[in-house]
Amino acid sequence: MIILENVTKEYTSGTPALNGIDLRIEKGEFVFVVGNSGSGKSTLIKLLLKELDATSGKIYVNKKYLNKITRKRLPSLRRDIGVVFQDFRLLPDRNVYDNIAFAMKVVEAPSRIIRGRVLAMLSMVGLLDKYKSFPNELSGGEQQRVAIARALVNEPSILLCDEPTGNLDPENSWEIMKILDEINKRGTTVLVVTHNMEIVQAMKKRTITMNNGKIISDVEKGGYFYED
Amino acid sequence: MKIRSLGYNIKQGFKNIYRNKMFSLASIATMTACLFLFGVFYSIVTNFQYMVKKAENSVCVTVFFDEGLSDQQKSDIGKNIESRVEVASIHYTSAEEAWSTFSKDYFGQYQDLAEGFKDDNPLASSDSYSVYLNDASMQPTLVTYLENMDGISQVNRSDVMASSLSNVAILVGYASVAIIVILLAVSIFLIMNTVVIGVTVRKDEISIMKLIGATDMFVNAPFVVEGVVIGMIGSIIPLIIIRYMYANIINYVLTKFSILNNILAFLPASSIFRVLTPVTLGVGIGIGFLGSILALRKHTNV
Ligand SMILES: Nc1ncnc2c1ncn2[C@@H]1O[C@H](COP(=O)(O)OP(=O)(O)O)[C@@H](O)[C@H]1O
Ligand SMILES: [Mg+2]
Repeated sequence: MIILENVTKEYTSGTPALNGIDLRIEKGEFVFVVGNSGSGKSTLIKLLLKELDATSGKIYVNKKYLNKITRKRLPSLRRDIGVVFQDFRLLPDRNVYDNIAFAMKVVEAPSRIIRGRVLAMLSMVGLLDKYKSFPNELSGGEQQRVAIARALVNEPSILLCDEPTGNLDPENSWEIMKILDEINKRGTTVLVVTHNMEIVQAMKKRTITMNNGKIISDVEKGGYFYED
Repeated sequence: MKIRSLGYNIKQGFKNIYRNKMFSLASIATMTACLFLFGVFYSIVTNFQYMVKKAENSVCVTVFFDEGLSDQQKSDIGKNIESRVEVASIHYTSAEEAWSTFSKDYFGQYQDLAEGFKDDNPLASSDSYSVYLNDASMQPTLVTYLENMDGISQVNRSDVMASSLSNVAILVGYASVAIIVILLAVSIFLIMNTVVIGVTVRKDEISIMKLIGATDMFVNAPFVVEGVVIGMIGSIIPLIIIRYMYANIINYVLTKFSILNNILAFLPASSIFRVLTPVTLGVGIGIGFLGSILALRKHTNV
C-alpha cells in the first residue's frame, strides 16, 4: 500500500518537480502513470524508494513512514519493493543466472533457496534456456525480462517500473506488459510509468496522468488523458 | 552481516584488487616500501640501543677514600652508594687487587721488576669502589652526590661517550619516526585512492545493490577486504625481505669488520622479529582498514 499526502519535492528552490501530490494505491492494484517528460514521474518513484526525500508532505509505503525511516532500516523498505528501469541496468560481467542470483546474495538469502527461486523466475519470464547468456547476447526485450526476474526474485510486495518499454519495439513492449499483468494477478502491487498510449488504452487499468508536478487526472479502467 | 555473506564479500574484495591491478600494485608497493623502511629503522635502532645499553652497563664511576678510614666506614659508604637509584651494582677493589692489576698492565712480562714493591704497595691507599650505573645519563647526578659525601677523596668519571651515544640514538629515532609517518600518510592516501577507484568502477553495481536492499555493511565489505588484503600483502613482503637480509647483513658486517667484534653486539633475528612481525602486520592491516573506511565514508553514501 502506498500513500502520499500533500507531497512536494523541490530539487532546487523554485519550480517543484512534484507539487502537492495526494495519492493512494491499495495493495494488489495495477496502476499506470503517464504524463509529459519532466512532469515528475521518475521523481515519484525515487521518493517511494527513498532515493530522495520529499521537501514536504508525508509518504507511507507498506505502513512504513518514509519521512522517519532511518538509514539502518532502509534495506528492509527496499527489499519489499522491486524496481525496473528503461535501461535494464543488468551487470554486464555476469550471465543471466548470476544477475538474478545476485539480487538474492545481496540481501543475504540462504544459498540453498537461491537456485530454486532463480529458476522459477526464469521460467516465469520465459528465459530458462538463456540462463547462461550474458546481457550483451540478449535482445532488449530479453534483457528487460531478466531485469523483471531480478526485481521479483526476493518476492517484494510492490513492483515499480519506470518506462520499462521505453527502449523496446511494440511486440516486445506487449510481451513485457503481459508479464507485468501476470505478476499483478499473483498479488503484487504494480506501478508502471509509461509513454505507450496504445498499451494504456488497451489494458484498461487505473491510470494517473501527471503534468508539471501535479496529478491532473486519475481514472479507473484506462484512458490516456494527455494533451501536449 | 551474515556469516554466509563473508565468503562472497571476500571473493568480491579479491576481484576488486584484481580488476584494479595497477592501483592495487602501487598501493602494495608503497606499503611495502614504508614498512620495509620501518623494519630497517627498527632493526637498526633496536640494535643500536642494545649496543648503547651494553656500553652503558660498562660505564662505571670509581670512588677513592680519604686516608685512614676504617673497614667499617668503607663498608658503610658502600651500602650508602648501593642504595642510590642510579646504581646498578658496586664492586670493591682492594689495594692488593689494584696493585696486581696495575703491575700486570704496567710491567707486563717484566714481573720481576714489580717484585721490588712487594712489601711496600705503592697503591696502599688506593682501594676503591667501582660503581656501575643503570643509565649513563645519570652519571652527573651521581658524581655530584658522591663528591659531596664524607670520607671520599676522589671520584673518577668514566668517559661521557655513552651519554652522547644515547643522544644520537634518540635523534636517529626521531628522524626515522618522521620518515615513517610521512610514508604511512602516503600509504593511506594511495589505499584510499585505490578503494575510491574500485568504488567508481563498481558505481552501477553499488547503486543496484542499494536499490535491491543491501545493507551498508554488505556494500562496504568487499572494499574493506580490498584495503585489508593490500595492507596484509604490503606488510608480509617487507617482513620476508628483512628477515632474509638481517642474517646476511650481520654475517657480512661481522666477517668484514671482525676488529669491531667487541663493540658490535647484534640482537638475534628472533628477538627483532618477535616485535617487528606483529607490529608490521598490525600497522599494515590497520592502514588498509583505515584507508578503505575513509574512502568509503566519502564515496558510497548514495
Ligand atoms: N537531479 C535533479 N536535479 C534537479 N532537477 C531535477 C533532477 N531530476 C529531475 N529534475 C527536474 O524535475 C522535474 C521532474 O523530473 P522527472 O521526475 O525526471 O520527470 P519525468 O520522469 O516525468 O520525465 C524536471 O523538471 C526535471 O528537470
Ligand atoms: Mg522519467
